[in-house]
Amino acid sequence: MTYFMNALSIVCILGGVFFFMTATIGLLRFPDFFTRLHATGKGDTLAVFLCLLGFAIHEGLSLTALKILFIAVFMFLAQPTATHAISRAGIRHGLKPWVKGEERR
Amino acid sequence: MIVKSDDIIIKTIARIFVPFIQLYALYVIMHGHYSPGGGFQGGVILGASLALLLITHGYDEMRKRIPEGVIILFGSVGVLIYAGIGLTCLLLGGNYLDYSQLSVILHVDPAHARSLGILGVELGVGFTVMAVMYSIFFDISTGGILPDDEKKSSEWGDNG
Amino acid sequence: MNIFFVAVGLGLCLLVFLALYRAIFGPGVFNRIAAISAIGTKTLIILLILGYVYNRVDMFIDISMVYALLNFIGCIAAAKYLEMER
Repeated sequence: MTYFMNALSIVCILGGVFFFMTATIGLLRFPDFFTRLHATGKGDTLAVFLCLLGFAIHEGLSLTALKILFIAVFMFLAQPTATHAISRAGIRHGLKPWVKGEERR
Repeated sequence: MIVKSDDIIIKTIARIFVPFIQLYALYVIMHGHYSPGGGFQGGVILGASLALLLITHGYDEMRKRIPEGVIILFGSVGVLIYAGIGLTCLLLGGNYLDYSQLSVILHVDPAHARSLGILGVELGVGFTVMAVMYSIFFDISTGGILPDDEKKSSEWGDNG
Repeated sequence: MNIFFVAVGLGLCLLVFLALYRAIFGPGVFNRIAAISAIGTKTLIILLILGYVYNRVDMFIDISMVYALLNFIGCIAAAKYLEMER
């Protein structure tokens, strides 16, 4: 039984690390500010949720696992709100979205 | 001056989160002797929750909900709790802040009384830190322009 | 299992350095705020892995929860400040 729980937790954490990697590569390679926000806002949220789920499964059924799940729910609600706030500030400040054919910004 | 935010998503999320953040700050204050925490750290988290409300809801609405007099009163209540516990220990026959004298009132043994005394003092510290943090942020966010100033200068005219 | 956690932690540290490039060289201030938010999210996971290494997970959970809170509030405060017209 613990063998199965360990394997499940390793799979979840590796999935989380994979999404972290793609989010960071997107942060470096995308051509504009708003496209980089896509990569960070979505990829990081899912990656944090998967990693914390893996940690909670590794702990078993205890108070510590409940606290880790609280952090996961908080991050799942708060990170998209922060992304929305930054992108709204960018639009109000006057940044224009990138159109295909322009150079990188 | 922090203008009023007309964004309904951020206002709703902030309103949902603030009670849970304050509950977590109470947990941090209470568990000061066992895990990282204590009075100052819990007070900072409480002040940060009120600052979140100020950022998302604007200056005018927060001025109606929490006027400046009320928050200064909170700060004074915190200091009163701290000094009050110390003076109570003095009146019962020990030194200042000698918690083992509290076992006369509370009917527990002196080691228990010391633990409860420190808990009460940490609560007072938490109140004061919350009040001071919110008050400083509130005063800075006006940007030097108060709504009363604009009204008064328009009443007096241009006399110099 | 301990070696696996340490390896994941080292991989995440490498990703933090990659995001630091965007924080230093990003043209304009908005790119820097997005990069700092991403670094804060990765730091949260690295703190929990440190908790496993030192065998005191209970202590490090409280610290990481406070860090998630402060990251969220700081991001919203910075965005509110920069919202003024050019």
